[in-house]
Amino acid sequence: MATIVSFVLLGIGILALVLRRDLVIKLLALGLINASSILFLVSIGNRPGGRAPIQFPGETAVLVDPLPQALVLSAIVVNFAILALALVFVMILVERYHTTDAQRIEQEMSRETDEEETPCL
Amino acid sequence: MPLILLPLLRFLIAILSITVSRARRPLAVAAHVADAALLAWLAVSLAHGTPVGLTLGSGSAGVGISMTGDRIGMTFAALAWGLSLAVNVYIWRDRLRPYFFLLVHLLVGACYAVSFTQDLFNAYLLFELLTLVSFLLVGYGRQPRQIWASLRYLILSSFGMTLFLFGVGTVYAHCGTLDVGALRPLVAASAGEPWVLLSAALLTAGVSVKAGVFLFSLWLPAAHARAMPAVSALLSGVVIKMGVLELFRLADVFPLRLPLIVLGSITGILGIAYAVTAHDLKKMLAFHTLSQIGYVLIGFGADTPTARLGALAYAVAHGLFKALLFLSLGDAAAHVGGADDRTLTEHKAGIPRATRIALVVGVLGIVGLPPLAGFDAKAILEDGLPSLGPHIVVWLLSVGTVLSFGKFVPFLFARSSVRSECPRASAYGWLGGLIVAFWPVSVLMTSVPLCLAALGATHLIESFASLLVGAGLYLLVRRHTMRLPQAIFRLEESPLIILLGFFLVFALLLIGGGAG
Repeated sequence: MATIVSFVLLGIGILALVLRRDLVIKLLALGLINASSILFLVSIGNRPGGRAPIQFPGETAVLVDPLPQALVLSAIVVNFAILALALVFVMILVERYHTTDAQRIEQEMSRETDEEETPCL
Repeated sequence: MPLILLPLLRFLIAILSITVSRARRPLAVAAHVADAALLAWLAVSLAHGTPVGLTLGSGSAGVGISMTGDRIGMTFAALAWGLSLAVNVYIWRDRLRPYFFLLVHLLVGACYAVSFTQDLFNAYLLFELLTLVSFLLVGYGRQPRQIWASLRYLILSSFGMTLFLFGVGTVYAHCGTLDVGALRPLVAASAGEPWVLLSAALLTAGVSVKAGVFLFSLWLPAAHARAMPAVSALLSGVVIKMGVLELFRLADVFPLRLPLIVLGSITGILGIAYAVTAHDLKKMLAFHTLSQIGYVLIGFGADTPTARLGALAYAVAHGLFKALLFLSLGDAAAHVGGADDRTLTEHKAGIPRATRIALVVGVLGIVGLPPLAGFDAKAILEDGLPSLGPHIVVWLLSVGTVLSFGKFVPFLFARSSVRSECPRASAYGWLGGLIVAFWPVSVLMTSVPLCLAALGATHLIESFASLLVGAGLYLLVRRHTMRLPQAIFRLEESPLIILLGFFLVFALLLIGGGAG
């Protein structure tokens, strides 16, 4: 079930990334796409009736696979860093062009010549 | 030990270069000396037939993170070292913020780590580190176009890496390991099964976004053209090669022969088409990065030992002449006030002499004049191609390369009125020397018989024929202007084209029958 949900989230994320012109929405869509991969990784470690992977001495309970859970911790940190840095760059562009519309930013940029360009910061 | 020391030492130097920013030059020298010693250690072990290996985190195979100093890894790590040396010399006197040096050292350290890692998830993390560092380096100048190019790079690269992560998950679900060496027999035993095709397509599509493959790396022309010359040289010379290296490793596990040849041909031909029509010469060099990756993919997809060694040699040769071209063109553009062909031609006397010589060597290297780097590596690659189709594509790409570099001719020959700075000239000398004396380098990477065969009469005739045909075509079309569709490079369309590329790879794997 979680695997199917992860693919649905991936689809929604891709649609939003392609169809929405707002850069902030695009980054949220990217966050959704990244979250879908994390859910997918967690779902493949699942075992029927499995418990959290903490084994006590003498216990023989079924545990879920701990490796994908360890992997997603790193993936979550990486995705957080990407979103944070991307938002900083979006903020810099908004300060210059006063819009978060990707197409308008591209149009404004194509009007400027190299000589007119000045550093944003 | 040297496998882990190489990246860790660079990361330590990176931290020191921002905390003790006045010592950044001695630190850079120390980093390169230490790296050279460690690489020599690895090379000696490899020459004795016992490549250094290391498994971190667990003793049992398939669970820990394993690293190996094999031939492919060593080749790319040595390339990273050589280009890092050139770039550090080039920026020796430049006044840059301390965090620029932090980023450059982090970038090189991550390249070392990617070169040696055999673990797919570790590769994912290192690719993301490369993405973040490259993103900050592209946007270093804070100009709006740089910021926009780096933002597009970050979004598309992150999307690609998510596809890669889905592939990693699929592989782990079926094999219980992410170690490339352990995966090889497991995948071979399940050849043709749907999960193998799906995971191969996801991993290939994900890595291709980082590897400069045309349908996937549509962020590349803007990012490489807008970045500072030193950054473009590193990105085009070595960072893209890390994606190529991972494709090489995947091709050892999955049946990627047909996808690599088709993607290589598409990348090469479309890259050349866009390069021929570009007037901003930095952008043209960026498109050429795509086209040259085409050669490498075709060579590796041909799946013969000679073609694979040729592809490896060509990847190194491309790293050298593309770094030299980006550095020298950036310097020339800074002197004349623009990187388009008209400005450079109008103010050609303003280009320093050493920069002009570097441009000449870079252009001759990339067009494949014997016996320079481009010719030697391409000849080895062609010797290994098993059928006529890839031969024709490679020859057409050679002609297209000569045609597009015809734009450099009008400003290459003039009397210079400006002198070059010593660090710049030294960086050109290092890279140019390697391009001119590439034959011994290629002997180290391949073997003496292959390199001797590369100097055969057939290759010499073929090379001069492509030079003549390319030059003739340039004279015919130089006054014509043509514009190819630019919409595919927009942020809205690029993710869709990446998805299209994923389906193309999946279809090619199906057609290939899943057999290796």
